Amino acid sequence: MPEPILEIDALEVSYGPIRALRGCSLAVAAGETVVVVGANGAGKTTLLRAISNVLPHAAGEVRFAGQPTRGQRADQLARAGLLQVPEGRGIIARLSVAENLQLAWAMRPGNSTFAQACLPVFERFPRLQERLNQRAGSMSGGEQQMLALARAIICPPRVLLVDEPSLGLSPVMVSEVFSVLRAFRAAGVTILLVEQNVRQALGIADRAYVLRQGSIVAEGSGSSMLADPAMLRYYLGST
Amino acid sequence: MLAEQIINGIVLGSMYALVAIGYTLVFGVLDKLNFAHGETFMLGGFVAVAASALGAPLWVAFPCALLICGALGLVVELLSFRKFRSADAQVTAALSSLALGLIFIDLVQKYYGSEPVPLELPLAVRTATLSVAGIEIAQIKLAILAIAVLLMAGLHVLVNHTRVGRNIRAVAESPLAASLLGIHVRLVTQQTFVIASALAGIAGVMLAMRTGYAASDIGFTFGIKALAIMAIGGMGDLRGAMLGGILVGVVEALAVQFGFGKLGEIVVWILMILVLLVRPGGLFSTSSERRA
Repeated sequence: MPEPILEIDALEVSYGPIRALRGCSLAVAAGETVVVVGANGAGKTTLLRAISNVLPHAAGEVRFAGQPTRGQRADQLARAGLLQVPEGRGIIARLSVAENLQLAWAMRPGNSTFAQACLPVFERFPRLQERLNQRAGSMSGGEQQMLALARAIICPPRVLLVDEPSLGLSPVMVSEVFSVLRAFRAAGVTILLVEQNVRQALGIADRAYVLRQGSIVAEGSGSSMLADPAMLRYYLGST
Repeated sequence: MLAEQIINGIVLGSMYALVAIGYTLVFGVLDKLNFAHGETFMLGGFVAVAASALGAPLWVAFPCALLICGALGLVVELLSFRKFRSADAQVTAALSSLALGLIFIDLVQKYYGSEPVPLELPLAVRTATLSVAGIEIAQIKLAILAIAVLLMAGLHVLVNHTRVGRNIRAVAESPLAASLLGIHVRLVTQQTFVIASALAGIAGVMLAMRTGYAASDIGFTFGIKALAIMAIGGMGDLRGAMLGGILVGVVEALAVQFGFGKLGEIVVWILMILVLLVRPGGLFSTSSERRA
C-alpha cells in the first residue's frame, strides 16, 4: 500500500465510563475508497467524529497527510481538506440552499467566485439550482443529502468522510446517493465511508473493515467480504 | 396626547428591543442566558456619564459605549461561558454571568454611589422639539429612535446578508455541523457576544440621554424586562425581539396614558407567562419555526 493519507492508530474514545472505541486502527491510502461497516452502536459515528476532532481522544493518534491531528480544531481540519458529511447530513436547515453552498465555498482555498464554484454542483444536481433560495430544511431527505454531498464538489477534499448517507432515505434515493459516491470515487476522491447498508457500501469499496464494539474485527477487500456472507452475518447480525 | 404617548412608547420600545436582541442573539448561538447582559446595558449609561464628565461632546458616548461594552462582552464570554460549553451547563453559565453582572454593579456603586447619577445634557438638546403632523416631539426622542432603527436595520443586514451573520445563524442551529463546515465556532461565539454587548451599551447611552441620568439598578428593572421581551418574542428570534420590544413599550405607554400607572408593567410579566404557556416559540413564531 502506498503511504496512507489518513491513519488511525489505536484510537480510544470514551463517553464518561463507556468506552466507545477500544484501540481502533485503520488506514486509508490516497485515491482509495474504504468502507467501515458495523452494526448499530458499533462505534462508527464515534470513529468519524473522533477523526474530525469533534470528540476528544482518550488514547491513540490520528495522522492526516503524515501529521498528527492532535490540537487542531474540527474547522481547521475541514479547511485543510479532511471534510466530513456527518450523520443526519449536517446541512444547516434554516439557511437557504445557496447559503449552505456558500458555507462550503467559504472554506475553499483560492479565489474562484461562488458562481464558478457552483457550476459543477448544478451540473450534477440540477435540483439544487432550482431550489437555491429555498430553506434547505424544506427539501426532501434525498435532496438534503445531495446538498450535503455537494460540499465535496465545491470544496474538493483530500479525504472525504461520509457517515451513513443512506440513513432514512427511500431505496431509490439510496441508489442515487451511492451513484454519487461512485462518481466521486471514479474522479479520484479519497473516501472513508461508514455504513449500515452493508451490501451497497461494500459494492463501492476498495477495502473494508468491520467494526464491532469499538474494535476492528475483520479487514479485507470489498469484493471478498461481499463473497463471505457468513462472516458478515457473524459480525453484524443479519444483513 | 394619545399620539404623543404612542411615540413615547415606540422610543422606549426601541431601547427594549436593542437590549432584548442581545439576549436573543446569545441565546440563539449558545442556548444559554447571559445574566450579565442587563449590567452591560447599565454600564452604557455610565460610559455616557463618564464621557460627559470628561467634557466630551454628547455623541462621543456612542462610539465609546460601543467599544467598551463590546469589549466587555468578550470578558463575559471568557469568564462565564467559555468553559461551560456543554448543553447541561446552562445553570452554571447563568449563575456565573449573574455573579459577573453583580460585580459590575458593585464596581459602579463604588465610584458613583447607589443613587442615580445625572447626565448633563445641553439645554438646547433637552428642549429642542420638532413638529411632526401637528405633534411637538422632543428632538432627543427622535434621535434615539433614528439611531435605534438604524442599528436594527444594520443588524438585520449583518445577520442575513453577510458572512459573519451566515456563520452566526449556522452556529445557532448546529455548532457541530457548523464546525464541520469550516466555521470557527468559538470565534463566532465571541463575535456574537461583542455585537450583543455593543448594542446593549448603546441602548444604555440612549436611556441615560432620554431620562437624564444613569442608574446602577436598571439591569434589574429595564434589563430584566428586556429578558421577558426576548421570551415574548421567542428565544433566539431576532425579529421577535424587535417587534416584542416595540409592542411592550407601546403597551406600557398606553397604560400610563389610561391611568393604570405602574400596573402597566404587570402587563409585560403576564404577557410573558401567557406566551410561555401558549406559544413557547414566541408571539410571532410560525408553527414550523417553533423551537422545542
